[in-house]
Amino acid sequence: MAESYSDGRTADDEFQEQFLNDKTLKFAGAAVATLFTLVVGLFIGAIIFTQVDFGLFVEIIYPQFVNAYLLVLGIFLAGSVLSIIAGIFVGLGRVSKTRVTNTVASGYVEFFRGTPLLFQLIVIFFGIPAFWPPGEFPIQNWAIPAAIIGLTLNHAAYVGEAVRGGINAVPEGQMEAARSLGMSYVQSMREVVLPQAWRNALAAIGNDQVILVKDTSLLTVIAVPELISAFRQINSATFDPWTPILLVAIAYLGITLPLGKVVRYLEARSDWGGDR
Amino acid sequence: MSLLEFDKVDKFFGDTHVLKDVDLNVEEGEVCVIIGPSGSGKSTLLRCANRLEEIQDGEIRLDNQSISDPNADINRLRQRIGMVFQSFNLFPHKTALENVTLAPTKVKGLDESTAEKRAESLLDRVGLSAQSNSYPNQLSGGQQQRVAIARALAMDPRVMLFDEVTSALDPELVGEVLDVMQGLAEEGMTMLVVTHEMGFAREVGDRIVLMADGRVVEDSPPEVFFENPTTDRGKQFLSKLL
Ligand SMILES: Nc1ncnc2c1ncn2[C@@H]1O[C@H](COP(=O)(O)OP(=O)(O)O)[C@@H](O)[C@H]1O
Ligand SMILES: [Mg+2]
Repeated sequence: MAESYSDGRTADDEFQEQFLNDKTLKFAGAAVATLFTLVVGLFIGAIIFTQVDFGLFVEIIYPQFVNAYLLVLGIFLAGSVLSIIAGIFVGLGRVSKTRVTNTVASGYVEFFRGTPLLFQLIVIFFGIPAFWPPGEFPIQNWAIPAAIIGLTLNHAAYVGEAVRGGINAVPEGQMEAARSLGMSYVQSMREVVLPQAWRNALAAIGNDQVILVKDTSLLTVIAVPELISAFRQINSATFDPWTPILLVAIAYLGITLPLGKVVRYLEARSDWGGDR
Repeated sequence: MSLLEFDKVDKFFGDTHVLKDVDLNVEEGEVCVIIGPSGSGKSTLLRCANRLEEIQDGEIRLDNQSISDPNADINRLRQRIGMVFQSFNLFPHKTALENVTLAPTKVKGLDESTAEKRAESLLDRVGLSAQSNSYPNQLSGGQQQRVAIARALAMDPRVMLFDEVTSALDPELVGEVLDVMQGLAEEGMTMLVVTHEMGFAREVGDRIVLMADGRVVEDSPPEVFFENPTTDRGKQFLSKLL
């Protein structure tokens, strides 16, 4: 126990006042941040100057990394659009008062969130073609469609939960006002509830889509020539880790950073006279 | 035959009996004011009248057509029943004008420019022609509620339901909304109004309906109700007001 002073203040109070006040904390925060930046900066600088082979760097950019980057970008864009569309329907299913719809949507979410994406990719990539006699599976380059299907199914579950949260955050009175004007449930959802739910869910959907970008790294397991596969190829040919690592980092950030900008743009666009 | 008829209506929430054998007829052009203590079933009565709530027994009819019949085309019927809520419930992602044009274009299939012309004249009528491009959160409560009234009127309803539409407003904004409602009444709109504004009830109401405990306990003209109520419940309610 802290010892008591005559005015009822304790040693804890004294300590807080002296060392944990707003000013000292602000200073400490800035100091730690600066130190962190310095250390990381030095580390990255050291790697670039001592480890990265610029001749190799230029050599592997094209076609290998550009191709891998474009492939990841394409898979991401397809998976993103499809998972958001599918996710809206999953979210609608989750808020449905019809028992069967609700149960199916819940089961969908439980399954796709409850098993690893890698497992789901394996099921699709290896499992589906097994329904055909060996060699007769009709789709030639199955890895890429399998990748898009897997990412879509998996992320539709997460988008669906974000959409459900977004719908539930729209006040009940919005649906009632729309219905009282004679609009059907579908019209009310589409015109009134979903636009507001979309704004509510935007941050969560954006987070999920960033994860989707990073999840494309798992596609190396089903032989998609994406960025990690490109790294492994170059590394095993040259025994140089850091040159391809640098390129991989640039490539991923080259998708996730613009994606963050898009999300912020969309958020700013649904400002509606500026309440939040 | 009255315009809006509640015929022996019973409503339960689970085991709670909220409306008990309610009979109420609202004539065309009449302003029927419903008053009564909190929890007496006033909101529920209004919500049943456009089927935001289902009733368990009895029937509600508009123009002799059943509203409560499970097979009724409720989206059609609701177009003829305007409702204004205590909490405004304007669509925040749409401007005042878009709030008013949404249902006419989507439900009645009006083309955009016709709907906008009508909406502008309705906004003008509630004194908000200058605010037609404002979003709800740029408007005061009183302005929002007037947009909500214009939005309901845009469907050309046969009857308007008002559920404590001034209760959420700052006192200085109550008058502007009541004025709009009075204007509507004078133009002959049939209105079912739940309110605590006794001045309005007395001046604008053609009938005062007192509800208590899920029942209609007194139904008199305002002169009678406010001077010399015919029932004990009426006398009791009035004595608490004074
Ligand atoms: N959705 C609901 N679920 C359960 N009970 C409700 C619900 N809505 C209202 N009630 C109950 O019904 C009764 C009447 O409520 P209400 O119609 O809102 O009264 P008023 O508008 O006169 O204050 C109250 O006892 C209230 O608790
Ligand atoms: Mg009420």
